[in-house]
Amino acid sequence: MNQLILAVLILMLGAGLCLLPIRNATRAGIGLVSQAVATLVAWSVVIPVLLGAPDITGEMPWAYPIGDLHFRLDALGAFFLSWSLPMTFLGGVYAVGYMDKYFSTSRHLGVHFALLNMISVSFLLVYTGEHTVTFLFGWEIAALAAWLLVIWDYPNEKVRFAGFNYLVSTHIGLIFLVAAVMILYTRTHSWFLDDFGDWMSRNPGTLRNTVFLLLVTSFGLKSAFFPFHSWLPRAHAAAPAHVSALMSGVIHKAGLYALVRFILLLGKPDEWMGWFLIVFSVISALVGGLYTVGQRDLKRLLGYSSTENVGIAGIGFGIGCLGLSWDVPALVALGFGGGLLHVLNHAFFKCQLFYAAGCVYQVKHVVDLERLGGLAKLMPITAICFIVGGIAISALPPFNGFASEFMIYSGLFTGESIGVWAKLTLGLVAAALAFVGAVSALSITRAFGVIFLGNSRDSSLPEGREASRWMLLPMGIHAVGTIMLGVVPVLGLAMVAGPTALLMRTMPVGVVAVNLQSTVEILTRIGLISGALALSIGLVVWWRLKSKNAPQPMLNATWGCGYGAPTPRMQYTGASFSTDFAARFKNIMVLIKRKKAPAGYFPDDSYVITDCVDSVERRLYSVISHGDETATDLSRKMQEDDPRLAFSAGLAALVVIAALVLLAEGVLP
Amino acid sequence: MNIGLALIHWAIVLSMPIMLVGLVNRTKSWWVGRKGPRLIQSAYDLWRLLGKRPVVSTTASPLFRAGAYVVLLCGLLAASMIPLLGQFAPLQFSHDFVVVAYTLGLARIVLMISAMDVGSSFEGMGAAREASFATFAEPALFLLIGTASAATGMTSFADLIGHLHNTPHYAIIVVPLTIALLILLQAEAARIPVDDPMTHLELTMIHEVMILDHSGPELAAMQYAAALKMTLYAGLIAALINPFNPLTDPVAGVLVSLALMLIVAVIVGCIESLSARLPMRWVPAYLLIASMAALGSMLVIGLGASGV
Repeated sequence: MNQLILAVLILMLGAGLCLLPIRNATRAGIGLVSQAVATLVAWSVVIPVLLGAPDITGEMPWAYPIGDLHFRLDALGAFFLSWSLPMTFLGGVYAVGYMDKYFSTSRHLGVHFALLNMISVSFLLVYTGEHTVTFLFGWEIAALAAWLLVIWDYPNEKVRFAGFNYLVSTHIGLIFLVAAVMILYTRTHSWFLDDFGDWMSRNPGTLRNTVFLLLVTSFGLKSAFFPFHSWLPRAHAAAPAHVSALMSGVIHKAGLYALVRFILLLGKPDEWMGWFLIVFSVISALVGGLYTVGQRDLKRLLGYSSTENVGIAGIGFGIGCLGLSWDVPALVALGFGGGLLHVLNHAFFKCQLFYAAGCVYQVKHVVDLERLGGLAKLMPITAICFIVGGIAISALPPFNGFASEFMIYSGLFTGESIGVWAKLTLGLVAAALAFVGAVSALSITRAFGVIFLGNSRDSSLPEGREASRWMLLPMGIHAVGTIMLGVVPVLGLAMVAGPTALLMRTMPVGVVAVNLQSTVEILTRIGLISGALALSIGLVVWWRLKSKNAPQPMLNATWGCGYGAPTPRMQYTGASFSTDFAARFKNIMVLIKRKKAPAGYFPDDSYVITDCVDSVERRLYSVISHGDETATDLSRKMQEDDPRLAFSAGLAALVVIAALVLLAEGVLP
Repeated sequence: MNIGLALIHWAIVLSMPIMLVGLVNRTKSWWVGRKGPRLIQSAYDLWRLLGKRPVVSTTASPLFRAGAYVVLLCGLLAASMIPLLGQFAPLQFSHDFVVVAYTLGLARIVLMISAMDVGSSFEGMGAAREASFATFAEPALFLLIGTASAATGMTSFADLIGHLHNTPHYAIIVVPLTIALLILLQAEAARIPVDDPMTHLELTMIHEVMILDHSGPELAAMQYAAALKMTLYAGLIAALINPFNPLTDPVAGVLVSLALMLIVAVIVGCIESLSARLPMRWVPAYLLIASMAALGSMLVIGLGASGV
């Protein structure tokens, strides 16, 4: 425990020092060093716990009414901490390159690095907090710090709006979370998660179901599940690349952590909870995936794919819940193991993709697909990192996304004897997952093809070149992780085994061991196949392209038909790539088209602008503005001095209060 | 593992692409009253291409040439897991069908990327069509597997297909499943009515337009990989229908499978001769028929198990 407290203190101290009036470079140095040291200190206890050492608990005396603060580091928290901390550090390293031009200005960079430190502090609080107050406190630090990081470019109104949008959404989530905590507190008269768990596992019923729904809503908002995702694309597009990367890959995984934590506390979930999670997640994956197709802003596209990927992890958790409620250990191991592994894998490849997007932005100052092109030759490292991440995010072998999705598929097509209808329904879910995979392959091909291949579409943009080494290094490390976890997925499984065993703690030890061992075998096989595929591809490509007797190609122009292009703008665009597909889902993806057709004999000013907007956000805003008008109307019509109105309002209030009391207490004493 | 069967499996995988393409072309020639090319004509074509020096676009990156070999290798890896002969595949383990689908997915994404690499609008168009039609085709395969999985309780591809013959509703579900697989074959192997390999108008092509700029050995790899894909789906159809288990009855199993694959090629050729390509906008609806057929068989399994 002491190491964790030490890590928190180091981070806070680093954050404080970052704010001193010193050179920006020194501030950044302090921030990075404190992050690195804190990560190493925390690792010294986190890694052993993750690999099976007993839990670490700690207490800290605190004043009434909060009472003593309890901390506990178990395998689940250790799993999340083990990669969240170093990835935040890497984000800091990336920030040095990304913020390069501000180092010599009067802009205070220390705040930025201090906030990154606070993000790490919030991880330590949330992932070890046993007391609700520390948990909520960490939750809130993360939300505020992330908000402040998002509005780095605050003079821009759009950025401020995106930040505010995020701030409001995350606090709506907090309301649901607090509501759930209040219900649990009235039942247990305790602040401790353990006591909550105790009560929940003994009292299945309406109230527990309500708590579950409230929590899923709150965590869904945090992790940007559909339909709670509308803040996400804006925030990701507005934030600096490393902040988007950290938010999408690392910070918002806290929602999934909390979800798994509460499932763990729940004991044995009801069957409907598993199905509910699966359906909720499938919808997220489908809609998130579909939305990636229409985007022309690369960072928005990647933002939507977060919604898709939390959905995929959520499907895994749903299978795990079903396994718990049916007492099928194999499903628990595959579901939770696969889901958690997907969380880890997503952190690796999503950060990598955002970092690549940041490199493009750094060099070209835009991330608009339709203006870029041909970057692969100028930025080969970025291009390779992007396509590796892209293949991984489409869950294709030989990279890591495939390993985790394979586990989830193994759960969906289980050989265990569960009901035929359940099997068929899971088969439908698998088909939906296959659809999502194909859709994300489509949008990654589109993004990579338009940005990195062909020729540059806009000559007014600066020349492309490779971005700074500070940015390439973190991206490269993530790419290595993506490849390693794909070829040796057992590494990832070793990290996931602890928390998965925790979720299976009610089952006999032998059963748990057998099932974990079988997942190890599955992943070893997948790793071997992925490795063999990667190796054979490498060998054949080397033999055909690079070896001594490889044929030397002749160079010539692209096949002339339709390409003897007078302007590179005539290349295939992102919009043309996606229009056909998007048109089939026009009810979900709202395509706004503004155009002015050429008219007259000498047409001049004509244009077509298409934009794929978020239908949830659109409807939300239209409902809010309608509601606003209705309320204004109503208040204008009402005469406030009318006693009948006052009495009926008072009566209605009494009825509502009575109903709430009845709902909370069952029957009146 | 049964080494003899594995050798036969590989012999079929390597030789049938040539034969099937030849047979489809022969059938089409026969319908229009020509004699048609030799059955192994495509082997000669591939051989000729292998000896040529490739011409590469100045716009292309190294991914362009590498892509062709990735596509071929992925096809071969998938071939080692697909039970062409029935209840047998050289590489067989639980949930291998996911690896099959996703390996072919990797081949597809690499094919699309190498198409977009040359910058031509036509090739981008082909890639966009391939990508969007794949999204409609992919679920059908998983629904089909879901049906077989629920019916048999098995987890590996070969067992799923093999044990399906012994399930009570086999006689009913074999029809929709065969239809689904045939539609998938037409989509994945770029045959009429989804795509027309013989067309010479870039605007209306899908697969051919994506490999417009490939030449020499790379073109050979792409063409062989496409033919291989057709073989794999034809083999799956054969395995679904073939009543002989290759493990207990190897001679009959292999011969019937071979015959069925050739019949599938003839059927594909007949369809190509007798019908025109669908308009692009109808293709998704056509592909949805495959999903619907698989869904229907799912329903049969579910209702059957409930005793209806």
